[in-house]
Amino acid sequence: MRIRFRTYFLKQALQNIRDNLAVHILGLGTMVSSLLIFGIFMLLYSNVTNWVQGWGNSLTFSVYLKDDISAYKRDKVDTFLRRLPGKKSLVYISKNDAMADLKKTLGSDGALLKRLSGNPLPASYEVFFDRSETHDLNSEAVKTALSKLEGVAEVQCSEEWLNNFKQILDIVKSIFFVIGGLLCVCVIFIMTNTIKLTIFYRKSEIEILKLVGATDWFIKVPFLLEGIIQGILAGVLTLSLLGGGYLFFATKDLQFFSTISLGLVFLPLNHMILLFLISVVLGIIGSLIAIGRFFKV
Amino acid sequence: MIQLFHLSKKYDNHIALDDIDLRIERGEFVFVTGPSGAGKTTLLRLLFGAEKPEKGYILINSINLTRISRSKMDLLRRKIGFVFQDFKLLPQRTVFENVAIALQVTGEPARWIRKKTRQTLELVGLEDKEKVYPLSLSGGEQQRVAIARAIVKGPVILLADEPTGNLDPDLTREIMALFRSIHQKGTTVVIATHSRDLLENAPYRTILLQEGKLSGDTCA
Repeated sequence: MRIRFRTYFLKQALQNIRDNLAVHILGLGTMVSSLLIFGIFMLLYSNVTNWVQGWGNSLTFSVYLKDDISAYKRDKVDTFLRRLPGKKSLVYISKNDAMADLKKTLGSDGALLKRLSGNPLPASYEVFFDRSETHDLNSEAVKTALSKLEGVAEVQCSEEWLNNFKQILDIVKSIFFVIGGLLCVCVIFIMTNTIKLTIFYRKSEIEILKLVGATDWFIKVPFLLEGIIQGILAGVLTLSLLGGGYLFFATKDLQFFSTISLGLVFLPLNHMILLFLISVVLGIIGSLIAIGRFFKV
Repeated sequence: MIQLFHLSKKYDNHIALDDIDLRIERGEFVFVTGPSGAGKTTLLRLLFGAEKPEKGYILINSINLTRISRSKMDLLRRKIGFVFQDFKLLPQRTVFENVAIALQVTGEPARWIRKKTRQTLELVGLEDKEKVYPLSLSGGEQQRVAIARAIVKGPVILLADEPTGNLDPDLTREIMALFRSIHQKGTTVVIATHSRDLLENAPYRTILLQEGKLSGDTCA
């Protein structure tokens, strides 16, 4: 394509946008809103995945002991746990420590615990593993072995609820794709209508251009560029708004069940590029549909 | 050279043109006349490729218009100028832009387009109106802009459909003088008109159409 043609097309596309500014602003606003919903989903998904990955990296066993456990049996449990390979740390939490932790967590509501006649909380061991260093650790086998030890009341492994969480995350992912697909259809519809209005606005000019010998693509390219420009603007605006929202929430202390602090992450670069490209591609598809359906010369 | 062979055109059940055979030589000045509905506009639209005939075929410089591809038709139109009775100017564009549009489609350099457009505006006597918008011009001036747009690309054929239909006698003379000067430069000029005033004493060939049929061809 010759440079002077390119300049003409770009000028013409910008002229189209200027001539139909209100329509374009409205279209852009709706497009950004739709992409923003899509982006928020992406951001939430990225963060939840990030948290789950973080939790997945540390494998934890909570070994609850029976209240009547003898010192000998507790030593056997202790020895078993100390011999586990790849262990990062081992913490013994006595019944009193467990109660103290609970009181601390409950804060002002801790007074409720005074009504208890005794301490119902069991003593326990918390064993932490670094997942990156214990790839070969069979958590199921460890859990079974621990459960068989005398004096052990219950064993909980972090992997169990993590797996449940991952299953929920997969469902969320499917919903995300369905909603994302519907939003894409909406954006294409908006884009098609925006370009359609521009085509109608320039109807007499198109007729004259054909009369003076313009090829179809000479007339079509500015409309296509219009879609690309709108897609680029929508992509940039969406990412900027997402970035602004992220910066706002990143300064807040977000907690999970009032206990675990959640660190926020922004969209990874490849997701940002993906969101931007989706916006541009939707702009192109929208204008192509409009050109195909409403461009009759 | 324009050649028509057994050309027929129908709109629903109305026959607009019926078995027309015609030959217009290169550099000729021809009037196509006849009452309203005789088929003058249809003939010009067929010559311009804006319509397709039902029967027969059209040769323009040996190119068969009935078999030409859409893209080649676009290129051919760059060699044919068309002037409409209602001018077909873009009101939101200046006089200069209205004329330059015919060159922009060819992808010529901007500097060349500026030069050529100014030369053409000078030729039609509108050099001082290039920044004016069409709606603030008189009918005669608007028609001159339309003529400038049709001739700026140096067409080999100039077709004009009732170009003086909306103009008073003084402006009509002015526009006709312009067509004559374009013709003198070697362009084939075909003007459709039902104005008897225009045809009186005109030293040009006149083709008469009646009810879609060729009913007269008189050389001056």
